[in-house]
Amino acid sequence: MAGSRRPKRPTEVRIRAYNVGFGDCFLLTFRYPAGDRHLLMDFGSTRLPRRNGPGSMVRVAEQIRTDTGGKLHVVVATHRHADHISGFAGKAGEVIAALEPELVVQPWTEQPDLATDARAPSSSSSPGRAAPSAGRGGGKRLAAAAAVSRLADMHELAEYVREQGVRSETVAGVPKRLAAQLAFLGEENLLNRPAVEALQSLGRKQVYAAFGSRLPIASLLPGVAVDVLGPPTVEQSAGIRREARTDPDEFWHLAASAARARRGGDGQGRLFPEAPVARQVPQEARWLIPQIERMHAEELLSLVRILDSALNNTSLILLFDVAGTRLLFPGDAQIENWRYALRDAPEAAEIRARLATAVLYKVGHHGSLNATPRTLLWEALQEARTDPGAEPLVTLLSTLAGKHGSETRGTEVPRNTLVEALRRGSELHSTEEGTTSARFWRDLVFPLDDGSSA
Amino acid sequence: MAHTQGDGGTMGPGVPRRPWIVAQDPGVRRAGRILTAQVSVPWEDLEPGPLGHRVHVVDYDASTKTFYRPAPASLLEGDAPDDDLILGEPSFHAQNVYALVMRTLGRFEQALGRRVSWGFRSHQLKVVPHAFEAANAFYAPDSESLSFGYFRRDGRPAFTCLSHDIVVHETAHALLDGLRSRFMAPSSPDQAAFHEGYADIVALLSVFSLTGVVEQLIDHAAERDRSRSARRGLIHRSLLDEEQLRRSVLFGLADDMEGETAGARVNALRRSVALEPDPAILEQDVFLEAHSRGEVLVAAVMRTYLEVWTRRLRALGAIERDYVDRERVAEEGANVADQLLTMVIRALDYTPPIHLTFADFLSAVLTADAEVRVDDRRYQLRATLRTWFGRYGIEPTAATVDGTWPRSDLQLTRHGVRFDSLQADPTEMFRLVWSNRRSLQLDPSAYTRVSSLRPCLRIGPEDGLPVRETVAECTQYLSVRADELRRYRLVKPLGVDDATPIVLEGGSTLVLDEYGTLKYEINNGLPVKGNAPALAVAQRRLDYLAEQGYFEAGSSVAARLSSLHRRRALGDDSARAEVW
Repeated sequence: MAGSRRPKRPTEVRIRAYNVGFGDCFLLTFRYPAGDRHLLMDFGSTRLPRRNGPGSMVRVAEQIRTDTGGKLHVVVATHRHADHISGFAGKAGEVIAALEPELVVQPWTEQPDLATDARAPSSSSSPGRAAPSAGRGGGKRLAAAAAVSRLADMHELAEYVREQGVRSETVAGVPKRLAAQLAFLGEENLLNRPAVEALQSLGRKQVYAAFGSRLPIASLLPGVAVDVLGPPTVEQSAGIRREARTDPDEFWHLAASAARARRGGDGQGRLFPEAPVARQVPQEARWLIPQIERMHAEELLSLVRILDSALNNTSLILLFDVAGTRLLFPGDAQIENWRYALRDAPEAAEIRARLATAVLYKVGHHGSLNATPRTLLWEALQEARTDPGAEPLVTLLSTLAGKHGSETRGTEVPRNTLVEALRRGSELHSTEEGTTSARFWRDLVFPLDDGSSA
Repeated sequence: MAHTQGDGGTMGPGVPRRPWIVAQDPGVRRAGRILTAQVSVPWEDLEPGPLGHRVHVVDYDASTKTFYRPAPASLLEGDAPDDDLILGEPSFHAQNVYALVMRTLGRFEQALGRRVSWGFRSHQLKVVPHAFEAANAFYAPDSESLSFGYFRRDGRPAFTCLSHDIVVHETAHALLDGLRSRFMAPSSPDQAAFHEGYADIVALLSVFSLTGVVEQLIDHAAERDRSRSARRGLIHRSLLDEEQLRRSVLFGLADDMEGETAGARVNALRRSVALEPDPAILEQDVFLEAHSRGEVLVAAVMRTYLEVWTRRLRALGAIERDYVDRERVAEEGANVADQLLTMVIRALDYTPPIHLTFADFLSAVLTADAEVRVDDRRYQLRATLRTWFGRYGIEPTAATVDGTWPRSDLQLTRHGVRFDSLQADPTEMFRLVWSNRRSLQLDPSAYTRVSSLRPCLRIGPEDGLPVRETVAECTQYLSVRADELRRYRLVKPLGVDDATPIVLEGGSTLVLDEYGTLKYEINNGLPVKGNAPALAVAQRRLDYLAEQGYFEAGSSVAARLSSLHRRRALGDDSARAEVW
């Protein structure tokens, strides 16, 4: 291990936010009297900035090597979307791998035997090697089994969508933009295979965490406590409020079997191989065919959007507590993921109180409209500032305007109304401001209570 | 025999066709074979497809890019189809959707006494029985079509186009959209819930109006009775009380709905029948969500159905001690379903054109039925309906004793109005409306139009002779800035900017008798100063829409029913309050 004798508590934490455009990449450096320790929180981008940026992910990786002095202690990959992990693949990934991280933390949904062994999970598939606090044995195994098949089904569907997206670019009736979205979601977001595989072999030790998991970081980052607030396990989230309307496993299973039938097997997979087929589309039906094609593509897209958002909801939500200074990193978690910790967990009230005193909030999902719960999180953070002596709130936004969503539909990322609220209610730092191509990062430094007294 | 007689009629040119359909779902079998039924549809000279004057079946599969040869113009009306044909012949699927859509359309036209148009310009609804491989089916007005997906379970295909209730549900969406185009617009939790709830009700009553389906469910309940009487086609009375029938018939059908197409849709029947009555149910948070709320409406109607049916059965004479005729039991069930279906269809003419609430719907059903079926002693449908709606917290809007809309006592000025074109010409009707704008409490500064005008012919209850009536929908729109709301005594909802454009909408349904005299004015008009209750309703609506994000820039209100169904299936109701 780098560093030497056991430092007790950090005296300062620095957060370096690299401007990777549309993506997240943060280096948390904990300063100890005996030397620095580094945690890399995500390393991905789906579009680098044209100006004021690093130019390539390899350059970011090299900067990380410089900034860490050649050694990473912990890597956190919040979820599998490309804008969070693309850098772990390819040349940039090789640079990171050479920093030999001791521990790699990912959400429980990425556990390889969960994802590949579709029907028979081993008992170790229970979420988080360090078992989450909630859950009973038998029920948990069932829930895990359900999750396993669901994930396998989701992956199968993703593969199909990628192919369809590519194919539908040439089908009459399917608007180009729609086909491109399909291809993008399938390829970059859902599958993202090289980066996912690179992560599986990264680090000396790997941990797959869920709400309530305890991370084995005591020796790596002494004096730093981490609460895992999300994602909830299937069992945790299944207990929420009212029964689901249909069985989500069945839902994904059917979607996946459609994908299977289309992809492999019997050539065209025609429903009625014996039935006579029209050689030419009759005149009276010509108007309709492109309409059906468009609806089919939209149908697929809506399915994939649900899937895509489901993946955001596999995001790790981490609350760091460094000598009483709390830093909140929620990845891209959306409301469904937050809801367990903030509302449905037995200890939700206590969690909300703890969160409210955080001094740093990494803005969820690049500032999109549904990743910063307005009442459950933001208003609670604001409320806590009214206490006399409360520390001001700092927010950190890593984003690239103009890549996703549209203002006219109120879906722009970052969402204007959110950014306004962030400016009003906190000291907002955005990667879009104050970076240059020579210095493509910005730093936030939090001095800590005197931890070096030992 | 695994088939059953549905509607009456004989074969031959000029009289209704009697095509075969799958009675409920290919998973529902009798004596090991798929349960089928013959139904009546109006005769017409078809083109291959089938392509008729109201329906065009197009068998294109986007997943495999296959265009199946159009089904022959003739329909299968002779011997019952066997299972291989039902499952393996796309042309039978084409016939199945054609027959079910036409039958449903026929039921609407028959109940309303006139032709009913679709909610788009063309006269022919396109129906795609194998549109793509996906566990979904939906109505899409922009492509004038119903699309039915198929999916595979363990390699075997399952077809949503062969499920009676799915096909009728989608057809009901298309018909309702044709009759009340504003019901798909955002307004209130009730209106948001109405489309799905109504489509479910029409679909379920349509299934129950097939005697064979009811018989099969009763048989299932009685299969443990091995007595001689039971073998002679009789059924013991103990199996026919309300709770027993709820279990055997309603939950029984819910089980059947799990059939082949489970996973493609929500089992609305099971969820509705399981809802215990509670007058405060609609105030619960969970039931503010559109789909759950719609299920409350379904529950109220299906409980009414059950009670009326059991009451009819009590009047049935025993053939042997405590044993009654099984066929008669089923017939009564199908009759009650049919009668109830007629009622809920007729009700649409008596709903306000805009901002519908469940309470309005109840008043509309009661009024529509009382108009043509004065004597309700036989079925007591109106009283029972009112009781069950009340048990789920729905009281009629109209404060009259029987809950029907009050008769209008307005004497309309008819100066300059040409009476003979009033029934057919919207411009003439507008003249009448405009001349009476003050007494009808219309705002002259609003954009006003007669959005539909429908003559209808009913059989008068007193003498059995035809009665001509006219139903007109008059809608008004006022576009204001949010900060101008106070001019209308309304408060700008929280979080809405001053400059946000807000459209206030209102409308009245005017029912005129054969002399052009106003019989009913069913009014959900623009908020009028001095009308405190109407203002309170308008305010609640504004607040609700603001909460739903309707006034946010460019929020898309044109959510397709496909995604509605999908969200319904997944129970997705992301909390608006948490979104930016």
